Amino acid sequence: MAMPGILQQLRDVMSPPSTKQAILGLFQDAESAATAGDGLKEAGIPETDYDFLTDSPYPEGSLGEREEKHRLYLYPFIGALLGLSSGIMITAMTQVAYPLMTGGKPILSLPPMAIVCYEGTMLGAILFTVIGIVFESRLPKFQLGIYDERITQGFLGLRVKAEPEQRYEVTQIMNSAGAVDVKTEQ
Amino acid sequence: MASETQAHHGDQSHSEHGHFGPEMWVIPEASVLVAEVNEKQRMTPGIWRVIFIAGGVLTVLGIVGFVLKALSDGFSDHQAWGFYIAAFAFVFTLTASAPLAACAFRFTKSHWRRPLSRIAEIFSLVSLVNILLFIPALIVLPDIGVMHESGEQLVRRSIWFQELTNPSGWLMAGMIGLSLCSVAILWVAAMPDMAQSRHHVSGFRATLYGKLAGCWYGTKRQWQVQKGGLAILGALYFMMVVFVQFLIVSDFAMAMIPGWKDSILPPFYTVISFQGGLATILLVAYVMRRWGGYRELIGQAPFWAASKVLLGLTLLHTYHLFAFFITYWYGRLEVEQAILNYLMFDSYLGIFWAQLFFTFFIPFPILVSNHARREGWGAPLAAVFIIIGLMLWHIRIFAAAFAAAPAVEGGLYYLPSDAFSFPALLLPPPEATFPGIADIFMILGGVGIVMLVFRIGMMMLPPLSLWEMKEGSMYQRVDTLIRGRYLVLGKPE
Repeated sequence: MAMPGILQQLRDVMSPPSTKQAILGLFQDAESAATAGDGLKEAGIPETDYDFLTDSPYPEGSLGEREEKHRLYLYPFIGALLGLSSGIMITAMTQVAYPLMTGGKPILSLPPMAIVCYEGTMLGAILFTVIGIVFESRLPKFQLGIYDERITQGFLGLRVKAEPEQRYEVTQIMNSAGAVDVKTEQ
Repeated sequence: MASETQAHHGDQSHSEHGHFGPEMWVIPEASVLVAEVNEKQRMTPGIWRVIFIAGGVLTVLGIVGFVLKALSDGFSDHQAWGFYIAAFAFVFTLTASAPLAACAFRFTKSHWRRPLSRIAEIFSLVSLVNILLFIPALIVLPDIGVMHESGEQLVRRSIWFQELTNPSGWLMAGMIGLSLCSVAILWVAAMPDMAQSRHHVSGFRATLYGKLAGCWYGTKRQWQVQKGGLAILGALYFMMVVFVQFLIVSDFAMAMIPGWKDSILPPFYTVISFQGGLATILLVAYVMRRWGGYRELIGQAPFWAASKVLLGLTLLHTYHLFAFFITYWYGRLEVEQAILNYLMFDSYLGIFWAQLFFTFFIPFPILVSNHARREGWGAPLAAVFIIIGLMLWHIRIFAAAFAAAPAVEGGLYYLPSDAFSFPALLLPPPEATFPGIADIFMILGGVGIVMLVFRIGMMMLPPLSLWEMKEGSMYQRVDTLIRGRYLVLGKPE
């Protein structure tokens, strides 16, 4: 199912506000950030509760981060199927409703239908891919959360969602790993 | 090996004995890249003003030409609009395939593509203009089913079976789908850069970036989805652009001349479009590097590498041209001989040879020359000739097709009915059609609108793909090996 991306977003919106606070550690180099990530893992912070924020895509697993799974690849298939069905319906129904014999070919002949069906398939796939990117990236949020501009200069951010009682421990882990700054969401 | 990381501006890539010079590889300093590019974007060297003003003036000329043409000929006589169709198809050819270059070289993980990616993607904005330019083209496209003066219902041969009217709905849907896909590619590719740049800009751009970048933080998941999204959209774009090119060359060229059936023309048009798109990107990149203030961020390597691809496409173009010729020449059917005479050896002989010189005989030796390729100016110089040659190609194919198409007045073809299967119109070959002042204005307007929209795009969006260049700087080093200094590339995947 491609829907979990959307459902997850809806669940996030509908669920009661979490007591967890966002803490952002800022690191000058990838090694320190990875060390902090290891520290959080050892402290029992669930892997789903922290994210590395980077200004460019780092190689897979280089920061020791969790493996992310997404279902983006399903969206174009769903869109293509819907588009293809629409194409078949439009062409078949048009030709049955307004029968026009062309070049002695059958009224319902596949080659000319293929052009419209292909177009419908492509349009559906493109549209659903765009929708998929929006939802699978978790883009629709109403306000930008905790962030630091220095991430745009090559610093790495480690954003952790922690319970209030874990805040001190998380800050300690980050500082000991070499964080240049630690911020807490107000 | 003495490693130099983040070798700024590639000065260390100089090799006394090596095969590349000091400006071949440019490895930008990642930490200042966002600020540096935003600063360069604010500065407007003279060349950008010239491009903006020239683009604006040519666009106005194009609009004037269009209005003159509409007032003098109306929209019912499609023969009068051949040069408009040629101008539209020319703009479409150059710009529709450009975003594909970014996708294709990203697929192949070519490091040299990084400075070219955003240039290619910004052409997506021209695709929105293509939709507007397409509307008059659809209006002048004659209906498929026409009542002959004898009272007989005739069907013009085309790829559409279930239509009697102008197939504008399907054509427009294809064009909109293509534009949607290209704009989506631009948005997804530029999102991380807009998110980073919003902290460095103010005013309109800050608002624009804030809206378009949404809640992009650069999390692992977001990078993965972005990467996957670009791959899927790139594949869909390829499938879509080839399809729309097929529609355009079939409906606006082949189907216009009764009896013209050619399976080589659609792939030929696609190859031409790839060649034109890459040539346009290289020309723009050269202008940015040479006069636009981006010399420190765009090295010679992209030109060096891309010129080989351009050489391949130039050879493919010539191969398809020969295949187009030889099939008809050997076929020797009357219709085939008539089409060859009309498009190549009689009416359009001069334009045919001029086009051949511009698309092959001049660029080929330039692109073959190692020196010209390595120095960075070879590919852009060849690109200029290729673009001129492609303009002539479009006149020879599209304007010629519209000029020779059966005249329709009041919904009636004033022709014998066998004209629909036999090249009565081309025997003897009609005279070549020449552009009037309005036609020349419209062709210039086509060039102008591309320049104008691209320049506006460069002002609105980060003109270089910041995240890709930063990623590249992570994987590229200039190192010493024995006595030479060489580029070392990391391949994480």
